[in-house]
Amino acid sequence: MPFILDLYTILHDNWLLLLIGSYPNGPLGGIVCTLILSVVGIGLAFPLSVLMAMARLSPWRLLRWPATALVYVVRGVPLLMVILWVYFLVPVLIGRNVSGFTTMLCTLVIYEGAYLSEVVRAGIQALPRGQMEAARALGHSHLGAMWSVILPQALYNMLPSMLSQFVSTIKETTLGYVINVQELTFAANQINNQLLTKPFHVFFILAVSYFVVCWSLTQLTQWLERRIASKRRGIAPKPSTKARAASVTLESPT
Amino acid sequence: MKDFDLLAILLNPEFGGMLVHGVVLTLVIAIGSWLLAMTLALVLLTLRLTPSKLLQHTVAAYVSYHRNVPTLVQLMLWYFGISSLFPDSVQGWLSEHGGEALFSILALGLCQAAYFSEDLRSGLRSIPDGQAEAARALGHGFVSSMRHVLMPQAVRNAVPALVNHSVSLFKNSSLAMAIGVAELTHAVKEIESQSFRAFESYAVATVLYLVISLLIMACGAWLGKRYRIAEAK
Amino acid sequence: MITFSNVNKWYGDYRALTDINAEVKKGEVVVVCGPSGSGKSTLIRTVNRLEEIKSGQLLFDGHDIQAPMSSYQLNQLRSRIGFVFQSFNLFPHLSVLENIMLSPMKVRGIRRADAKTRAMELLERVGLSAKASAYPAQLSGGQQQRVAIARALAMEPPAMLFDEPTSALDPEMVGEVLAVMRGLAKDGMTMMCVTHEMNFAREVADRVWFMDAGCILETAAPETFFRSPQHPRAQRFLSDLRSH
Repeated sequence: MPFILDLYTILHDNWLLLLIGSYPNGPLGGIVCTLILSVVGIGLAFPLSVLMAMARLSPWRLLRWPATALVYVVRGVPLLMVILWVYFLVPVLIGRNVSGFTTMLCTLVIYEGAYLSEVVRAGIQALPRGQMEAARALGHSHLGAMWSVILPQALYNMLPSMLSQFVSTIKETTLGYVINVQELTFAANQINNQLLTKPFHVFFILAVSYFVVCWSLTQLTQWLERRIASKRRGIAPKPSTKARAASVTLESPT
Repeated sequence: MKDFDLLAILLNPEFGGMLVHGVVLTLVIAIGSWLLAMTLALVLLTLRLTPSKLLQHTVAAYVSYHRNVPTLVQLMLWYFGISSLFPDSVQGWLSEHGGEALFSILALGLCQAAYFSEDLRSGLRSIPDGQAEAARALGHGFVSSMRHVLMPQAVRNAVPALVNHSVSLFKNSSLAMAIGVAELTHAVKEIESQSFRAFESYAVATVLYLVISLLIMACGAWLGKRYRIAEAK
Repeated sequence: MITFSNVNKWYGDYRALTDINAEVKKGEVVVVCGPSGSGKSTLIRTVNRLEEIKSGQLLFDGHDIQAPMSSYQLNQLRSRIGFVFQSFNLFPHLSVLENIMLSPMKVRGIRRADAKTRAMELLERVGLSAKASAYPAQLSGGQQQRVAIARALAMEPPAMLFDEPTSALDPEMVGEVLAVMRGLAKDGMTMMCVTHEMNFAREVADRVWFMDAGCILETAAPETFFRSPQHPRAQRFLSDLRSH
């Protein structure tokens, strides 16, 4: 089948570009860039999201309102707009220009920070009230209770949802293409602009690559969900206070 | 911030025109793809409920593809990839008659259909078994049970998820910019490059997006309340 | 030890607690009973401020609970009031031993080794030393509640509050929890229990408070209360119980 042969040829000629971009003759790119961007992005977004979730649940308006406002704004505005804002504001704030990579990273941290904070918030609110009450009754402070009792449980229960968000982050990195970040989609477009005659093949390869990565991670998420559900299935006391941490999937389909 | 001048953007006829055109295109793409997505989602759901294993797996594969491949890549695959497979005459016709917008609606609609069908499926699954049994006990056939008893409840259960994904759909309209559609984000970027007033132009677009997103979310809240009141009766 | 003076609590028009005047003396065991909705749970939860009162005064071991204090002082005060919940509320992500050790370490700053020793002693006392490294999900309801009691005891409180400790248990497990509570009473612990277990009240309580509609309608020694209740509502309550 000529189609498969063409795919093989394209892959054979360009696999390095797809993998690591034009490194070492340029910045690190390709799928490695995509993964680094995603991992660092969500890694930095995570502590931010915990802080924002706690701010949203805080009894102090001064903390609650800005956090809630930020989450609503990020949820209501396209990722591209956030990219444009960050692209414009970061040089203004820092005083010098930044690379597309840095811009994309900052965007992802803010964007995913807001979405992740909703996941964390759902996890905290899904725990039975009795947990916080028991901790407070024993004399723990609010923050102490959060640290020792609430967050360990909430974050563990929400691991599948957080992994889902990681998959979303990988998908969101594709928008770096618009500001010339040399990630996988950019690499694919480079190849297409060189070849010009086989656009379908190139983009087919691109789609399949993302599919493989995201699908595997989604399978991992589902396995994790099953494992956590079976671990948490304990003996519930009679007045059914079951802690069903609803798996909130806030995948933003970008 | 140096001389923040919003009116320079809004009152300038050229920029104003670009903005309006951008908003119109954004809405056209959003509404068009929403209708496509909803219709297709219902079809997918129906197919999934048939006893045919082949159809069930096909739908599952469709959903899996559209959820694991980034939307931008799907859009590129359609616009750059699949369009190249059409005969030249069709390609010519398309590029003259707003092919970019059409492909955007197609790609975004197909993508969201996967999410909507999963939302409806979850909504269906969360109905207690007793409902279907009661419907059958009263004599309803499969179609009638679906139409009168199960689907209305499924939709009600699915409203929050559907609203969330509708907002995502609306936001995804901005992706069309990557294939040259002059929707709102594209318009604002153009204005910025011409006027150098990034803050003002971006602010306008942000407010517009926010207003519409919040409207969609408010619609959802209203729908949710309306259904709850109906249940309380 | 625990003194309620003119304690009132209301939400809008609804009066949850009305003019509560009562005292739990040191070493005393008080059982609070009454029909559901009588306010007994609310009453016991006001002592460590899980519920707030609107007016009146509440003294615990000489401290005014309502006095303005820093959150640190409130937490320290709370840690001295042992509270056992109806739904146990053990921390599922920690082992049994860790559940008991956590608060002495984090709230009182006790060293890990000392906390561990004390925790093992307490587990021994409630009869569960074999389960030290198990997780709450692996224990039966009765075992979980006994761990919850040990967890509260770890803070060495001068008094223990029990909010319907056996209501969520299957009948065959009620006995093991009541046995622990009996042991505590025998050792001279000041206890205030909201419970439906009338036999326990008869055997262990020094006094019974009967509540209905937010008021304490009758207080008496258990024998007196169960044999000849004075208040008509109390009479009705006891006859309803007996007719099972």
